[in-house]
Amino acid sequence: MNDTSKLIQKANLLLEISSLLMVSGANTNRVNLSIDRFATALHVKASSLISHKTIIMTLTDEETNSGCTRVQNIPPYLINFSIISAISKASWNATEENWSLEKISDEIETIKKLNRYPRLVILIAVSLAGAGFCNIFKGDYLNMFVAFISTFIGLYIFQETHKLKYNLYIRIFLGSFIASVIASVGILYHIGAHPQAALATSILFLVPGVPLINSFTDLMDNNILNGMVRFTTGSMIVLAMSIGLFLAMFLFQLT
Amino acid sequence: MLDVILKLLEVSFWSGIAALGFGILFNIPRSAMMTVFVLGFCAGFIKFSLIHFHIHVVLGSLLAAFFVGIISIPLAHKIHQPPVVFSIPPVIPMIPGYFAYETILSIMNFIFTESDASKRVELIDAIFTNGFTMFFILISLTVGVALPMLLLKKNSVKKIDL
Repeated sequence: MNDTSKLIQKANLLLEISSLLMVSGANTNRVNLSIDRFATALHVKASSLISHKTIIMTLTDEETNSGCTRVQNIPPYLINFSIISAISKASWNATEENWSLEKISDEIETIKKLNRYPRLVILIAVSLAGAGFCNIFKGDYLNMFVAFISTFIGLYIFQETHKLKYNLYIRIFLGSFIASVIASVGILYHIGAHPQAALATSILFLVPGVPLINSFTDLMDNNILNGMVRFTTGSMIVLAMSIGLFLAMFLFQLT
Repeated sequence: MLDVILKLLEVSFWSGIAALGFGILFNIPRSAMMTVFVLGFCAGFIKFSLIHFHIHVVLGSLLAAFFVGIISIPLAHKIHQPPVVFSIPPVIPMIPGYFAYETILSIMNFIFTESDASKRVELIDAIFTNGFTMFFILISLTVGVALPMLLLKKNSVKKIDL
């Protein structure tokens, strides 16, 4: 009995680790690698089916040969590279120093409590990134200012609607629509040399870079299903972004 | 010549800032921040120098992303982070936003405003040129970043001896 409950604990821990990794934006290959490393440290054999919303895992004890299968749902995705980095380090330490079950689960608890950057820092950093984009697309400093303001307000709306638990694609549409309306005002009043550059770059903070890059690495690793799911998510995000931009341009008659 | 270099440096600097901004949005660890900025700077510098020498933007993006992919292997050893943490943010500034914008603009013109037949043909040309340039840049960015690891046939950087 004790053996079985221990095995269930191990399965729950491994499932928690893999769902944390998936949510934080790791590709499927990395999730499998981390499971393997922790499983070696826990002296079990793990086989798993990882999909976008659910993970199924079977653990086999290496000594007693008894098995245990558990299923876990994955919570909504929220990219967090700090967690990926911390879990990767923990997995190496766990295999090298042969960590016990308690030590690993303590470590995962501390990793889960890792803080994000303060909201204002994120808002300003992403708006500066938007301004940087504008410079890359040949905008001058006035255009960059417009891009900064529209990114700031667009991202603010995006975060506020997150608190109100709106659907992701509705949030992306709203963020892109409001950012491009503000940038369109720049075109209307001819602010700067290339106001179009500000409009084109004001919505780029929503670009689904991580899903698209992960989708291609998953496809290359032959995780075709997960790759297709990520690609579809990325395309849906691009579609929502372009509808927002489209509507703003239509309202301002910028065609 | 000097103002060309200065302009290049300015654009590369803003690429670095954009990379760092996205890094912060993705919550990278504090110790990786400097690396992300420098990689973004270098990627921007490579891409815009190549474009300055009239190399096509798709090839330029591929080479810049490939550079990021290669250089992140020794860096992962040095600052003890998995390479995804600092190989994805520097690539984000190279995302073809302007081509996407031009594509949408042409599609809108095509559907809602233009009725003159010869201008509509020009718009189809613009939709395809910009749209496929965008698509190929996206593919070359993702392949460029992933290729070094695939070529070395290893699934973890720690197993690569330097």
